[in-house]
Amino acid sequence: MATDPRQLISGYCDESLTSDEERQLIDWINESQEHAQEFAKALLLHDRLRSEVGAMAATSQMAVPTPASLNSTRWNRWSRSLTGLVSAAVAAAIAFVVIWKGIGESPASAAIVELNRIIAASAQSFDRTFRIEVEGGGQEKQSAKRPRPTERGRPPKPPMNGAILHIRDGRQFVLVRTEFDGRPFVTGSNGKTSWAVRPDGPVRSSTDLKRFSHDLPGHEHSIPLFNIQEGLEGLLEAYNVTLQTFEGHRDARSSDGDPVQMIIADRKSKSYRGPSRVEIRYALQSGHIQQMRFVDMPYDKEPRLTLTMKLVEEQKLGPDFFDHDAHHAPDRRVEVE
Amino acid sequence: MDESTRKATRHWTLAQPIVSAFVTSVVRDFTARDDVLQEIAVAVIESFDRYDPERPFIGWALGIAQNQVGLYFRRVRRDRLVFDEQTMANLATAFSSLSADQSTKLDHLRDCLQGLEGRAKQLCELRYQRDQKPAAIASSVGMSANSVAKALQRIRGQLRECIDRKSAVEGAS
Repeated sequence: MATDPRQLISGYCDESLTSDEERQLIDWINESQEHAQEFAKALLLHDRLRSEVGAMAATSQMAVPTPASLNSTRWNRWSRSLTGLVSAAVAAAIAFVVIWKGIGESPASAAIVELNRIIAASAQSFDRTFRIEVEGGGQEKQSAKRPRPTERGRPPKPPMNGAILHIRDGRQFVLVRTEFDGRPFVTGSNGKTSWAVRPDGPVRSSTDLKRFSHDLPGHEHSIPLFNIQEGLEGLLEAYNVTLQTFEGHRDARSSDGDPVQMIIADRKSKSYRGPSRVEIRYALQSGHIQQMRFVDMPYDKEPRLTLTMKLVEEQKLGPDFFDHDAHHAPDRRVEVE
Repeated sequence: MDESTRKATRHWTLAQPIVSAFVTSVVRDFTARDDVLQEIAVAVIESFDRYDPERPFIGWALGIAQNQVGLYFRRVRRDRLVFDEQTMANLATAFSSLSADQSTKLDHLRDCLQGLEGRAKQLCELRYQRDQKPAAIASSVGMSANSVAKALQRIRGQLRECIDRKSAVEGAS
């Protein structure tokens, strides 16, 4: 039976609705803008009540002794004007930001705000192309000189250094690496299937979207390189983030000429498997990422590596670009796994 | 404080009651709501240079609020977001369309609260000062949770009527 909307709103304020009643309330709110406004007005009062009752208690205009609160004198002494408290806290936060802005570096909360803005910018639907550079060579350098088969006799992975990564909407990617003999090895996913186009042999395709994403660092933890949005959200939980500005550095500009800022995320605990540090350079105005550097990133069974993804371009790659057909001759045999 | 920050602070002071109510409508834990509101304030000041003064500030601030609320729920998985994205967007629109009058009218709330007596006053204090839910209030005042919930609904209704009455008198004078 449908419940009176006023009762639903009141129950919602007091967190006493059943899940069925919550559903009824949501449906009612979405029925019309008038309903949504009625809800908004009720919540405006509910919100103000909390501030006012707290404020009045602080000045003893409201506090009521109850059997359960006879020993609450101490509590009341400590109770303060909640309006004042919240306003003071917000004002303090604003002052903090203003002060930090003045000296060219921002506090963690501001870095989180910026990270949030970058996440929102990353969610915009255009295609991005990055070039991957692995620092120091390490295992990659060795492999390039003397490729060795893996334990299961598989051919070694093509080097990640110099790879080109195209990404779209966090689900689709194309990773182009160059084999030791110079031929391209392309893996990717169109969000429905994942696939691998080796230089020779059949093209392989699978409905398991993770099947051919394993060569891309980041799948071992929650920072998949092809899903920047998800990766950035992962940073919020497991990393301490700080903001670094480059005021006065003329070369710190994006390709559009915008000033560039950097967010540095340092891993909170070694128990988290992700990279020890992530540095994100982004255009100050647009929030678009220009470069991401992952320090000590796990990479399958290889030693940890430090790699940088540099933005090459942002442009539409065509509707079929993330299908395997776009990356091999039409007569190639396709094996579906 | 530079001119931009001064402007941002001025805008924010006017918009805060509405933004605060929007946050309360989705983040129901009062302490968490305060934290989220602080983060929104920081975000608003930090990104004020991207605000287009041709558009209403309140809508822009509510956009930031939606982002921050989304972040909060991703970060704090123990809390539960009742509303889906569409409902949140509808609510943000509804809050942004509330006139400044709606917020100003609530200045009469303190007078109206002073008119509460006895049990109504006690229930209001337990709910809003101690942040107790009807079930907890029920056990301390010897009522059923259902009766407490109904009483709270009635009290809010009385306060609303009182505010409207005082606003009407003020408007007529």
